[in-house]
Amino acid sequence: MEKTTSQKIRLGLFVIIGLLIFILATYLIGDKQKMFGNTVHLATSFNNVNGLQLGNNVRYSGVNVGTVRNIEMIGDTNIRVDMIIDEDIFKHIKKNAVATIGSDGLVGSMVINILPGSGTAALVEPGYEISSLNRIRTDDLLNTFSKTNKNAERLTENLLKITNEINEGEGTVGLLINDMAMAKDLKTTMSYLKTSSQKTSESISNLNRLIASLNNKDNVIGILKDTAVANRMKAIVSNLDKTTVEINKTVGNVNKTILNIKDGKGALNYLSNDPGLVRKIDSTMTNLNEASIRLNEDLEALKHNFLFRGYFRKLEREKLREQRK
Amino acid sequence: MMPMNAIFKITEVFKSFLLEIGELSFFAARFFRESFKRPVEFKEFLRQCYNMGNRSLLLVAVTGFIIGLVFTLQSRPTLQEFGAVSWMPSMVSISIIREIGPIITALICAGRIGSGIGAELGSMRVTEQIDAMEVSGTNPFKYLVVTRIMATTFMLPILVFFGDAIALFGSYLVENVKGNVSFLLYFNQVFNALEFGDLMPATIKTFFFGFAIGLVGCFKGYYCKKGTAGVGVAANSAVVFTSMLLFIIDFIAVFVTDIFYDL
Repeated sequence: MEKTTSQKIRLGLFVIIGLLIFILATYLIGDKQKMFGNTVHLATSFNNVNGLQLGNNVRYSGVNVGTVRNIEMIGDTNIRVDMIIDEDIFKHIKKNAVATIGSDGLVGSMVINILPGSGTAALVEPGYEISSLNRIRTDDLLNTFSKTNKNAERLTENLLKITNEINEGEGTVGLLINDMAMAKDLKTTMSYLKTSSQKTSESISNLNRLIASLNNKDNVIGILKDTAVANRMKAIVSNLDKTTVEINKTVGNVNKTILNIKDGKGALNYLSNDPGLVRKIDSTMTNLNEASIRLNEDLEALKHNFLFRGYFRKLEREKLREQRK
Repeated sequence: MMPMNAIFKITEVFKSFLLEIGELSFFAARFFRESFKRPVEFKEFLRQCYNMGNRSLLLVAVTGFIIGLVFTLQSRPTLQEFGAVSWMPSMVSISIIREIGPIITALICAGRIGSGIGAELGSMRVTEQIDAMEVSGTNPFKYLVVTRIMATTFMLPILVFFGDAIALFGSYLVENVKGNVSFLLYFNQVFNALEFGDLMPATIKTFFFGFAIGLVGCFKGYYCKKGTAGVGVAANSAVVFTSMLLFIIDFIAVFVTDIFYDL
C-alpha cells in the first residue's frame, strides 16, 4: 500500500512537471507572438509585401514589439497589413512613423521595421494607418544591375580603346609612356624642378626668417613699423615739406638778389664785378693795416702819458676788483 | 514453376499482412468500445502510467540529452562554415520539437514499453492467465489492454516534453562551452524561433505514437501464439511493427500539417 502511494506521488510529480514544461513552452511561444498581455492594432499599406507572413515580427527601433496579424489585399497594388503592437510601446509611436519591410538577416524571414517619427507629431491611435516605404525588390535590383552591367561593358570597351591607343603611342599619355626622348627630357626637367624646389625652399625659409626679424625693433623696418616712430617721421616729413617750400622761396629770393647783384647797377655789382676795385680795396686794406699798427703805437704812448695814465690805472683796479669778487 | 511459387508466397505474405491489419483494426475498435464501458480500471491505469512513464524517464532523459549534445556538435561545424552559428538555437529547437524529440522518444518507448507489453501479455496468454481471468468474470481486455493503451497514449506526450527539454538543455551546454552563449540568450533564441505551428502538431502526433505503441504491443501479446517461442516472437514483432507504424504515422502527421500550413 505504501509502495502504491509513493508510486502515485512520483507519477503525480512526473505528470505535473511534464505538463508544466508544456505549459511553459506554450506560454513562452505565445508571449513571443504577443498572444498574452495588452496589445493594440496598428495598420500600414504596401505595394508589395515581399513574402511577409502572418506572425512575422514587427520591430520598432530594432526592438520586437509585435507581430503581423492580418495581410489583406485591398486593391490591385495595395496590400493592407494589420499588426498587433505591445501597448507599452504603442504610446511612443508617432503618426509620422514609417513602416518598411526588411529581412531578418541575409536568409531570415521578413520583418516589418517601424522607423520612429521625428518632431512633435501626435501619437498614433488604435487602428491608425501609418505611412510605409516600399522596399527595393529583387527585380528592381536586378534591373539596376543590368543597367550597371551595360555601362560597365561600355566603360571597359572605352578603356580598352584608350589602353590600345596608349600602347601604340598615340595621344599625350601614349607619348608620355612610349617616347624615350621625352622621358629623358622629363627626367631632366624633374631634376631641375627638384633643384629649383630645393632653392625655393631655402629662399622661402630665408624670407620667413627675414619677415620674422621685421617684427623686432632692432632694425630699420622694425623701427619704421613702430607707430610712435612713424608719427614722428610723419611730422618730420611734414616739417621737411614746409622747410622745402621755405628753402625754395629763399633760394628764389637769393637767385633774384644774385641776379640783381650781377646785372644791377648797385654797389654790390660794382664790388663783385670790378677788378680794379678789388686791387684798390687790397691796397686800402694794406694801408688800413699799417694805420692800425701805428694807432696801436699811439694808444700805447697815450697810456704812458701823464694826462691819461690815471684813467688807465683806474680801469685796471676796477678790473682786479671784479676778478676778486 | 519458381516464379509461380514466388508470386504465391508474396500473395500469402500480403494476405497475412492485410489480415493482421484487419485484426489490428478490429482490436482498436474493441479498445474504443471497451474504453467507454464501466467499470473503469483506474488503479491499474495509474500503475501502468507509473511503469511506462516514470520508469522510462531515465532512459528518455539520457537519450534526449545525448541527442541534443550530439546534434549540436555535429551541426556546429557546418553552420560555422556559413558563419551562421547564431542560428544554432533556432535550428536545433525546431528540429527537436518538430521531429527528433517525438520520434526518438517514441522509438525508445516502442523498444522498452512495446516489447514489454508484448512479452507480458504474451506470457499471460501462454500461461493461460488471460483465459483464467475470463473464467473468473473479469474482462481481461478492459483490465489488461485498455489500461495499457490509455497509459501509453497519455504518458508518451509527457515523456516527449521531458525528452525535448533535456535535449535542448544538452544542446545549450554545447553552445555554452563552444560558443560562450548564455542560458538566457540561448533559450530566448529558441522561443523566438518556435511557433505554435511547431509545438502543437508535434504534441498531437505524440498521442498517436503512444496509442500505436500500446495498441501494437497489446495486440501482439494478446494474440500471442502458443509456446514460449511465441512470447519472444510477440515481443519482437511488437517492436518491429510499432517502429514501422511510428514512421507511417509520422509521415501522415507531417503530410497533414503541411496541408494545414498551406491553407
